[in-house]
Amino acid sequence: MKAWERIVIGASMVIFVALLALVYTLGALGYRVPPSTPRDLAMVYLTMTFNPSNPLFSAMAPEAVTAIVWDYRGLDTLFETAVFFLAIIASVALMRGVSLPEKPPSSAEGMSLIVKTVTKLTIGMILAVAASIAFHGHLTPGGGFQGGATAAVAPLVALVVFSVYFLERSGVTKNRMLGLRSAGLLGIGLTAFLVLIGSLLSGGTAFVFQNQPKPAAPIGLPWRIDGALTGGTLFLFNVFEALAVSAGFTIVFLLLAVPEEEAIKVVRGGEDGH
Amino acid sequence: MIAPQTLVFGILALLGLLSMVATYLAVTERDLVKAVVFSAIQSTAYAFMYYLLMAPDIVLVYVPVAVGLYPAVILFLIKKTERFEGE
Repeated sequence: MKAWERIVIGASMVIFVALLALVYTLGALGYRVPPSTPRDLAMVYLTMTFNPSNPLFSAMAPEAVTAIVWDYRGLDTLFETAVFFLAIIASVALMRGVSLPEKPPSSAEGMSLIVKTVTKLTIGMILAVAASIAFHGHLTPGGGFQGGATAAVAPLVALVVFSVYFLERSGVTKNRMLGLRSAGLLGIGLTAFLVLIGSLLSGGTAFVFQNQPKPAAPIGLPWRIDGALTGGTLFLFNVFEALAVSAGFTIVFLLLAVPEEEAIKVVRGGEDGH
Repeated sequence: MIAPQTLVFGILALLGLLSMVATYLAVTERDLVKAVVFSAIQSTAYAFMYYLLMAPDIVLVYVPVAVGLYPAVILFLIKKTERFEGE
């Protein structure tokens, strides 16, 4: 890289930081960052997220972020999920028909025995942490996407340390992951309509994406089962989102691990232009 | 005795500086594998900053994505293309 390019990059970063510092000093973000008291909007969510005395406005889950993400603005999250999975569907469609060569090359034996043994232990821990983040998402920081992304690290590590052939042998195939991902998405879709379906069956009405009872829609999911908080739909959304996200990421890694010649052969297509 | 808040702001400033240096090195480094490592260092600094700014939800999504999955995807791509950036 030429010297003047380094100077331009360095100088632009210094100017960026200096401008930010100037804005901060002039009080554009307020003179106290973070402010000494929460904003009014934040106070609304903090007092309403778990409030049995005001069930009409409450999501009945103590985790305000998950309550906002999957209840107060649940429809936004649904479309965010849709964008993520459209990207994965596009990569699957691009790589359709791509498969691993039948015979593993001799280099596909993975790393040394020490690394493999440590990895076997770590994979179990990663999956346990992921499950904890996802399934407690309605109680503590975390949620479906966080848990799913953490769980996706496990097949990634296995891919690097063992090989893609090891993953295929142990049952982590592209089609199975596609099945899991579809099951997760189907679950998210069904959960969005769960209260509506139950309400229509009992002769009432309800909103799409409803969690707790609302005016003119008196049915909601139970927020407490045998003394344990469930957050109504929040728990179901987190479980299905974790399933879909971890399987989706795994599909992408499996596709990336296919040798390049095989992938190019399929992506290039035949002379008849398929 | 340093007030806890001053301490937190000081650590935030140090992490911010670390992230700036790592970003500069990641942009200017010609060996792309090293650039990914610098980028991961920047992500680690940001993860700590999010934690100090009391955003644990962001930390939990930032750590696996920015320190685990994203460097892995980039390393896969480097393996399939070229390791050294051309002129």
